[in-house]
Amino acid sequence: MPQDPTAPESSARLPRRGLERLDLLLLSVEALDLNGGEAMVWMSEQMGFTSLFPNRVELWKRRCTNPLRRTTRRGALEPAETDALIRILCALADRLYPLLRGLLSTAEPPEVLSQRWALFRGRLAELIRERMNPRRSGVQLLLDPEGGARQARLLVQALSLGSGVGGFERLRASLLDAQS
Amino acid sequence: MKQILQFDQLSCRLKVEGLPDVSVGQSGAALGIITGWSLQWAGRPELEGRKEHLLALMQVVLPYARYLISGVPRRFGAEPQPVEIGPASEGGHSLLLRSSQPDTPPLQLALDDAELADLVRVLDQLRLDARLQLPLELPAPVPLRARELLERRPLAQRLAAPLGGVLALALASGLGLLIPEPKPAAAPGRPESSQPARGATPSP
Repeated sequence: MPQDPTAPESSARLPRRGLERLDLLLLSVEALDLNGGEAMVWMSEQMGFTSLFPNRVELWKRRCTNPLRRTTRRGALEPAETDALIRILCALADRLYPLLRGLLSTAEPPEVLSQRWALFRGRLAELIRERMNPRRSGVQLLLDPEGGARQARLLVQALSLGSGVGGFERLRASLLDAQS
Repeated sequence: MKQILQFDQLSCRLKVEGLPDVSVGQSGAALGIITGWSLQWAGRPELEGRKEHLLALMQVVLPYARYLISGVPRRFGAEPQPVEIGPASEGGHSLLLRSSQPDTPPLQLALDDAELADLVRVLDQLRLDARLQLPLELPAPVPLRARELLERRPLAQRLAAPLGGVLALALASGLGLLIPEPKPAAAPGRPESSQPARGATPSP
């Protein structure tokens, strides 16, 4: 995937909300692509992040810094690690762009659209129940029929706007929201 | 010498024409002077204009996308600006283009989320294309302040917690005032009055 060569490396650490959102966006990729977990590892290798994430376990450990996880890890991620995860996310979103577009387009017949959303939301809810702490209010909101639908749409919209060559900077800035 | 850069997405095609700026030593493949551009939409009128119009389009669409990715739909481009974009009341996004020609009404386009994403992608492809050797005055994406994020929540929802707290405090204080103050109980084996007898000398 072509990357934005002008994007400077960040020196800021992601805040708690940013870590939560980054992991949820990666989880959305897994909900869109059944092979998403493997694709993440493959993309990490392709993009040259093997020094940061030498294997899938290390990649998994970084994702577990999300405070909403059932088994969460303490400590913050280094900016280089979060930048690498965001780059992987943007590359995966670019790969899945036709699917994202299909979910967001109003040109599709409503029945087809509702089936696609039901499938995506079903998979996302399954992954959330499996990996997230159900006692957290943020997780309960994601599993709520009404609030969850809005959150799922925001996640898909964020992935669509974060895909492509200029998506990295935009997505990183949004994950750093309300830091100062 | 004439260069054409073309970027395609499913719903739109951006075509930029120009020339290399030989006065600064640009090669034949570079585009340093934009002479015109066109944006073709599927089933919509084609947009075209000069470099200023393209820049105006990028200056509102890209910041709009930046806010939208944080879940904050905000309008960009006020009246004198040629391009305006904001959330549409019936859902989706409304792109308004004001013509520089007199007596030409503004053109309003309704975009859904997919079409907006397509537009953002072609604009990103253009601005980051190595062949475009032209400084574009575009704001860099920056994190939003907490206040800007709070504004996306309705005022009633934002005020609910502090107002609830103030009401609970006022209620608790009111109820506290209703409870009568207890009278001091007389100590056993002492006279009813706690006043010392007149003339008595208090002991140290």
